[in-house]
Amino acid sequence: MAASMTQSAVPDSADSTAMVARLSHVSFSYDGGRTWALDNLSMEVHAGEHLCILGANGSGKSTLGSILSGATAPDRGQVELMGRAVCSDTPDQGRQVDAEAYRQVRRSIGMVFQNPEDQIVTTVVQDDVAFGPENLGLPRQRMLSCVPAALKQVDLQTRMNDDPTRMSGGQQQRLALAGSLAMNPSMMVLDEPGAMLDAAGRQEIQSILCRLTAQGTAVVHITHLLEQARQADRVLVLDHGHILAFGRPDEILNRQDLPALVDDISLARRSQPDRNSLTQSRASKTDAKTTVDNHTISMVKFSDVSYRFPDAGRKTLNQVNLELASGQTLAIIGRNGSGKSTLARLICALAVPDSGSIQVAGLPLAGPDRPKAKHQRRQNLRLLRQRVGYVMQYPEHQLFADTVAQDIAYGPRNLGYEPQQVQQRVDETMKLLGIADLADRSPFDLSGGQRRLVAIAGVVACSPQLLVLDEVTASLDPQARARIMTLLRVLHQRGVTIVMSTHADREALNLADQTLLLEHGETLAYGSTADVVERYHQLLATDGTVKEATGKETPRKEAGRTQTDNKPVSLLARLDPRAKLVTFLLAMFTAFAISTPTQLVLALVVTVGLFAAARAPLRSMMNSVKGFLVLMLLLALFNLLVTQTGRRLAVWGPFVLTTGGIWVAVLYACRFMLIIFLGALLVETTTPTQMADACESLLSPLSRLGIHTNEIALVLSLALRFIPTLRREIQAIAEAQAARGGSIESGSLSQRLHAATAITVPVFAGALRHADNLSRALDARCYEGSRQQRTHYRLLQLGRMDILFIALMSLYLLALLLHPLF
Amino acid sequence: MSMPNSHSHTTANKDTRFNDVHSTGAGGSGRWSTKRIAVYALFVALAMVLSFFSFPIFPAAPWLKYDPSGIVVLVCGFAFGPAAAAIISVLGFVPHLFTNPFGALISMIVALALSVPAALVYRRIHSRKGAVIGIVSGAILGVIAAILCNVVITPFYAHMSMAKVVAMIVPTLLPFNLMKFAIHGVVTFLIYKPISRLINK
Repeated sequence: MAASMTQSAVPDSADSTAMVARLSHVSFSYDGGRTWALDNLSMEVHAGEHLCILGANGSGKSTLGSILSGATAPDRGQVELMGRAVCSDTPDQGRQVDAEAYRQVRRSIGMVFQNPEDQIVTTVVQDDVAFGPENLGLPRQRMLSCVPAALKQVDLQTRMNDDPTRMSGGQQQRLALAGSLAMNPSMMVLDEPGAMLDAAGRQEIQSILCRLTAQGTAVVHITHLLEQARQADRVLVLDHGHILAFGRPDEILNRQDLPALVDDISLARRSQPDRNSLTQSRASKTDAKTTVDNHTISMVKFSDVSYRFPDAGRKTLNQVNLELASGQTLAIIGRNGSGKSTLARLICALAVPDSGSIQVAGLPLAGPDRPKAKHQRRQNLRLLRQRVGYVMQYPEHQLFADTVAQDIAYGPRNLGYEPQQVQQRVDETMKLLGIADLADRSPFDLSGGQRRLVAIAGVVACSPQLLVLDEVTASLDPQARARIMTLLRVLHQRGVTIVMSTHADREALNLADQTLLLEHGETLAYGSTADVVERYHQLLATDGTVKEATGKETPRKEAGRTQTDNKPVSLLARLDPRAKLVTFLLAMFTAFAISTPTQLVLALVVTVGLFAAARAPLRSMMNSVKGFLVLMLLLALFNLLVTQTGRRLAVWGPFVLTTGGIWVAVLYACRFMLIIFLGALLVETTTPTQMADACESLLSPLSRLGIHTNEIALVLSLALRFIPTLRREIQAIAEAQAARGGSIESGSLSQRLHAATAITVPVFAGALRHADNLSRALDARCYEGSRQQRTHYRLLQLGRMDILFIALMSLYLLALLLHPLF
Repeated sequence: MSMPNSHSHTTANKDTRFNDVHSTGAGGSGRWSTKRIAVYALFVALAMVLSFFSFPIFPAAPWLKYDPSGIVVLVCGFAFGPAAAAIISVLGFVPHLFTNPFGALISMIVALALSVPAALVYRRIHSRKGAVIGIVSGAILGVIAAILCNVVITPFYAHMSMAKVVAMIVPTLLPFNLMKFAIHGVVTFLIYKPISRLINK
């Protein structure tokens, strides 16, 4: 075989045992050879080393990571992973990919990606970690020990039963690491694992990586953050597909001749003790005011504003006060989940506070001055959309039009400008951001940094007096960050008021006249930037030690209910999900057969019994079915009035109340209630993973007909897991487009359709983006569907309790259905 | 409208749409690629989420609600063929089984009637015209299915005879469903071009 020939031809093959990866003359092109993302590149990864790959966006570092992890094969060159030639390239035979070898070596390689959320496959932490081992076909006994062990390595051992979709980004990323570690890899490839995390989250990942290398796992860490490269054994600097430098960090990172690094190094230097530059910049701003004096107009004013998410336990914002003068810049800092985004949404009237008053751009949005009349409120909102621009977090997710210019024009057009004026604004904004050359390109063909700029242009083109930006530089490389900072400086000079939330980005803070520090929704500090930033660093430092001591963290803000680990598992939750699924569904469908009082009583008794067995939290369940109860009441009323059998009780005009009407109303309402409560109970006591496992098992006979039951069950389980993600994203996109004046509820038909498109296209684009990430995550965990012998972490076994349960439920169903016969 | 090439489900290399030259070949044949699973999963999730965004569009019948999930099944059928449309149509309404079991079944049947014929037509006639014919024929079958199902199901919820429900067809059921499928069709037609470009990237 060509592959083994090449391998034996390598002179130092003894060395290759100590190598986990070796690339020789590797080239990779995304466009069929017109341009090369990697060009004739050779490198190797030693067993157990910590290698850091540095490079700007577009340098080819992710492509390199993908080849090293065995996820993709190059166009040219040889790839050797775990000592096996997986891709060979000889002059006479050309490039040859050994699929079987790839399959084998990938089992020893872990991969973690940038987006933490897209790597989660289920809704229970331990099931998620078990997914990889299941795919490897590990015996269940081994999994029972390796899953907790992997969670312990990332300090999540106390969260085994939690729902990962409700965890913070940092915790999710640690979970992704655990999912990889449970597969016991010889090499881990991490592609910018900290890019979407705050400083604390990045630090946690970094310390886990250091521990890993101490255990002998090779770590390839791809990043654009220099600080993370210092702890590596070796550093590889990539630029336009070429290796610029490769060696020990102390040799590389102090070199001044590396263009890819210069920007970042200067940044890294600046992030050293920086009190001076901050105080200087503030001093130059002639006594910047933290309070607004009487002569200036305040652009934003919050008085005692509190906000609580529906169903959330604690307030997201509590008694926040702030006042920002026209033309000033406010920075809001704080960790993930501190309430920064909510504050930004309140300013833009995308949410209404529970208490307190808000005035923005001269318009009362909340409080006693808020107009009572609906049309006046709507008028205010329209004025607000003209005056206030909102750049959401990851604003590139809202792009939708065919061309960049059309997308930027969306806001100005909604504001009702003439076509000529719209064109003028679009041109000016593109020039201001230096993206005029992109005007006719599709926004979806651009790089991440470019798309961010286009999305910002779409907001700036509306010429807002106040610009609100939520983490606008998040996960951008230094070059793109610098351009956004320049833009903000220009807008500031033009007199635009700016509110920006940030994880304490130094560059951004240099622009701020005042800074507000939020922690758990409360103002921890508010005033001059230098002081507030110092307070923030104190907070991070003390919190770091507290966290280590208790192992606890602030939950993500979406977490409506906090889960407790020591929650006793109810009888119903312990039952085999298949038994529950089938019997509950039958009980729900047969509820429509209930037509006599005896049947109704029987059904109610069984349902109450089931609730008792579930020890279900009635209050939270009532909350989740609230909407249906309203519908049920309406239906009951309808039935009450249309049924005119039995004795007449009362007559109001055309409406007649009869005994028959009352009975029908009660009966139909009860049927409806039974169904809803049974369904809610089933969902409450069964995790989506169990549900998917049950479906797979119940559908498995169909696999003989050639139906991919295993895959369909996985599709279902993944879909359930992505519901909260997509729901959040749809809301964010709809809000961002609303802030640009797009509304489905009002306007002409064509305007409404346009608004619908502006929401739908980005929503689909987002779904496809998640799908892309998810498929790579499934590959990284070696999922091969029905082709492999998967094992199961959760054993589905009908026990004595299950049989008893099925018997009892069958009895009930029989009684219900046979009752009319007697 | 530039439409992508038809996706054949019959050949051994069934996952061409989900593969490329840089494949390591580890995907293998005779099963779904992870890419296909991920795309289906996200489309199912999208259909699920959108199916909960329901609101009345026909003032005369406020209990009949519009939800945009039909757009997802149509787009999916155009992009990935009738089999994919069928899978999304069924799985997309699974969560409703636990709140409104018969309603969920109806939704599945109506989504199937809409998306599968539309996908079949579009696979045959792969052009802008084909898309229109597909949407219209799917919509006609969808309307018929919706009305038939409603006639059968309404007596379960309201104390009405089937004859009474039949009497409701012309004044409420028909106009509501026509409106519903018109919105589905127009929006799908508008957004399919940009989305197909993203899918084929």
